[in-house]
Amino acid sequence: MNEKDKEKKSDFLEVVDLRKGFGSGETRQEVLKGLNFSVGKGEFCVLLGPSGSGKSTLLNIIGGIDSADSGYISIKGDKLKEMNEKKLTLYRRKHLGYVFQMYNLIDNLNVKENIEVGEYLSDNSLEVDELLQTLGLYEHRYKLPNQLSGGQQQRVSIGRAIVKNPDILLCDEPTGALDYKTSKEILKLIEDINHKYGSTVIMVTHNEAIKNMSDHVIKLRDGSVRLNERNELKISAEALEW
Amino acid sequence: MVKRNPLMKRITREVKGDWRKYLVISLFLILTIGFVSGMYVANGSMLKAAHESVTKYNLEDGHFVLANKATSDQISQFEENKVKIYENFFRNEDEDIDGGGKSDGTIRVYKKTQDINLACVMDGRLPKAEDEIAIDRMHADNVGLKTGDKIKVGGKNFKIVGLIAYVNYSTLHEKTTDVIFDALKFDVAMVSSGGFDRLGSDVNYGYAWTYNESVKNDSEKKSKANDFLEEIAPEIVMQGNEIKEFVPEYSNPAVNFATDDMGSDKAMGSVIMDVLIVIIAFIFAITISNTISRESITIGTLRASGYTRREITIHYVITPAIVTLIAAIVGNILGYTVFKDVVVSMYYNSYSLPTYKTVWSAEALWKTTIVPLVLMIAVNVFVVVRVMRCTPLQFLRHDLRKNSKRKSLKLPEWRFITRFRIRIILQNIYGYIVLFLGVAFIMVMLAMAVGMPSTLDYYKENTADMMFAQHQYVLKTCQDESGDFVSTSNPDAEKFSMRSLERKGNTLDEEVSVYGVEDDSKYVEISDLESLSEKEVYISQPFAKKYNISTGDTIVLDEKYDKQKYKFKVSGIYGKCPSIAVFMPIENFRKAFDLTAKSFSGFMSDSKITDIDKGLIATEITKHDITKMCDQLDHSMGNYMKYFQILCIMLAAALIYLLTKLIIERNEKTISMIKVLGFDNGEIARLYIVATSIVLIVADAVSVFIGAAVMKSVWKVMMASYSGYFEFVMNPMDYVKMFLFVLAGYLFVTVLDFRRIKKIPMNEALKNME
Repeated sequence: MNEKDKEKKSDFLEVVDLRKGFGSGETRQEVLKGLNFSVGKGEFCVLLGPSGSGKSTLLNIIGGIDSADSGYISIKGDKLKEMNEKKLTLYRRKHLGYVFQMYNLIDNLNVKENIEVGEYLSDNSLEVDELLQTLGLYEHRYKLPNQLSGGQQQRVSIGRAIVKNPDILLCDEPTGALDYKTSKEILKLIEDINHKYGSTVIMVTHNEAIKNMSDHVIKLRDGSVRLNERNELKISAEALEW
Repeated sequence: MVKRNPLMKRITREVKGDWRKYLVISLFLILTIGFVSGMYVANGSMLKAAHESVTKYNLEDGHFVLANKATSDQISQFEENKVKIYENFFRNEDEDIDGGGKSDGTIRVYKKTQDINLACVMDGRLPKAEDEIAIDRMHADNVGLKTGDKIKVGGKNFKIVGLIAYVNYSTLHEKTTDVIFDALKFDVAMVSSGGFDRLGSDVNYGYAWTYNESVKNDSEKKSKANDFLEEIAPEIVMQGNEIKEFVPEYSNPAVNFATDDMGSDKAMGSVIMDVLIVIIAFIFAITISNTISRESITIGTLRASGYTRREITIHYVITPAIVTLIAAIVGNILGYTVFKDVVVSMYYNSYSLPTYKTVWSAEALWKTTIVPLVLMIAVNVFVVVRVMRCTPLQFLRHDLRKNSKRKSLKLPEWRFITRFRIRIILQNIYGYIVLFLGVAFIMVMLAMAVGMPSTLDYYKENTADMMFAQHQYVLKTCQDESGDFVSTSNPDAEKFSMRSLERKGNTLDEEVSVYGVEDDSKYVEISDLESLSEKEVYISQPFAKKYNISTGDTIVLDEKYDKQKYKFKVSGIYGKCPSIAVFMPIENFRKAFDLTAKSFSGFMSDSKITDIDKGLIATEITKHDITKMCDQLDHSMGNYMKYFQILCIMLAAALIYLLTKLIIERNEKTISMIKVLGFDNGEIARLYIVATSIVLIVADAVSVFIGAAVMKSVWKVMMASYSGYFEFVMNPMDYVKMFLFVLAGYLFVTVLDFRRIKKIPMNEALKNME
């Protein structure tokens, strides 16, 4: 077992007996029903599941923007539920990058400035112009989001997430609003980032095909883990078909 | 059957959901509408009472004062000019309020009359016995006198049996040339015939007249009065008598000042309200624009389903219309009850008006309900209709900008945070423009609230320096009975000559004091005065400023009661004089007015002159004559200015609250998203609040100067309709105060804004737009 594998197997992110419900009384719905799994550092982990399976709720709890009713999540041994608001903010600031389905760019900032929003938060940020080149956005850097295509906007969103060199990249249906070709380009980009910067990627998706490019697949249904396995037959994003 | 638009059900939910905003807007509207409504109702009711009192209390059409009593033949001669003449004699006596033996002011005592210039009894009754007196109600209030109290008038004891409001003294103007009334040091009173005879000062032979035929308007009044004067003036001179005063009713400030002022208050209140309503309307319009942007997809769906532009426009405009209507109804209820009483008490504090009955005012309904409603709807329809021009597809795509591919403005490579703030300012530029306009408008009111007390203080403090001399004695004649010139051994005394002329104008005939000054005068220090030729004069600074007269200009002055005109060339401006005056060497004065050599009008002196027979002195001009205007303004308005300052701070805070709330609401999703990314509340506040602070501080600073400049111009226009002139003075601390007052309002709002930013949930960013 090489060093990389050792690191992967170490429990970088641990989810222990995680439970979450919404509503009260008769209308109460248990969305997460005692999840247990772990994700290694630098892993590309895909969370699959149908609508209502609890994957977005799980992502929000990992992202520190929602809290569990019981159980916990720990990152490098630090439990999120023991962090106060200030520490959670710091956690998001130092460790997390977020990529949304609808990009969530700031519409009155240009491409470069949107990426600088992420850069501002980090003491260990990547060089913005270099990243713009990597993302293929350098010539578009002074454009506003509404002057870009969906794929370009998602690239900006990814740029904003990774510019701060996060430990974990959380992607919530990043290709959900894109066509096939653009989706593959974006997946390729995320794969490259995973390789180049060693960020742990946790991606929520409906798309079963994406599991093939991941290191780790977790399937959720009705708030429970139905499948939790390492993908030994990983293929590149370019080779994906659906 | 007409179906109700189901969208209307959203309105109550919208109002409930954002109740704080609607509460602030409603209070803003209710207070504004309520106060203006109160002003209209109070004005309408009091003006009606004042107009009714013209016939009820037999107001004169004018009066004149003669040096000597006219005979019955002479009166018959006057009455040949289609007028009826009434005796309306009075004496000007010293009033001693506390019986301390010292004069507290002047009381003008009229003999009780039955047929002209009657009085409304506000408390008690009219005098019957010799030692009974009825005094002006407002003066009594101001100096703390009441029915049953005793006062000394001309050294004689009188018991106050009633408080009255004379129909010809709705304001206590001692002279027709006074800029403002003086309810503190001047009083009018009524005594019985016996009481009148008890008094010792000279009788002023006042004669009131009424026209036999009714007169329709001011121009007819003016021409009739001029004709009447032209007829009687030569007769009076031929009779060896002299007109000391000729005052037609239309030019008598004691009769007209209050009603004119109430009219101008109403007009000003109405303008302020209209501007505030338009500001609120724009705040609503920006809110609606934000809501439309947020609900773009829903609107697109409704439009695609068949809803018309009109239906959706009405839906969005109906909320501000309903809020305005409710505010107008509540405001009017308060206007007829609470605010009417506030306004009435303000007027009773300044004017001596008769009792009134509250009357319904159609004008109040129009101005405070219909006009605000129309303004609110017009502004919002204008904004919403423009947005509604977008196609259903544009709404569905959330693509509401005219130029959806608008380019980003390239900014210099400043710090990222600086550029972010500039982007926030640019994104919310319309909101900030409304904020700037609102602050600038409030600053004009604040300039009034802060500058008025300063102006009065300035004139009070500097009056002594601006007087020629501590004492100025005007003689009845410069020669005594033996024909010798009146003289004094006081070494400070200096002779001067004075004459009152008029500068004719469209709105006002301004009284101008023309002075003849001795060479090398120690009281009027004009170095080259003696070198002036006969047609050259110096004018006072107030004269120059009021009428924009410069050195080298020519001025034309008229005799008051005949057609003689005088033309003078202005050789310079004299700064040390508070009134409208002209200066020339005393020799030139004698030549200009065809007077005998050595003639003069009186003495100026820094020490009291005691060796002149009191019977020869017509009047002594003291510091009080100059400061009484400031004292009265301070008394009438001084306290209100403090409340007005607080009101302006509250208005500014409310306006800033509404606009910053809109800006934060518009950026809720971005704020939520950058929270998710890891910005803490402090950093977000520094982004958004600092951006607003920069705009606010710039708007505040610029508006201070705009407010002061506008107020100074308004003041000059106001002064044009009054006799005399004094400038609106604001010292540097006033500018600082104005700046800090608005800033204080903003700092309060900042706390609320920070709380609002803190409350924005992170899951707001996770809601998908489509």
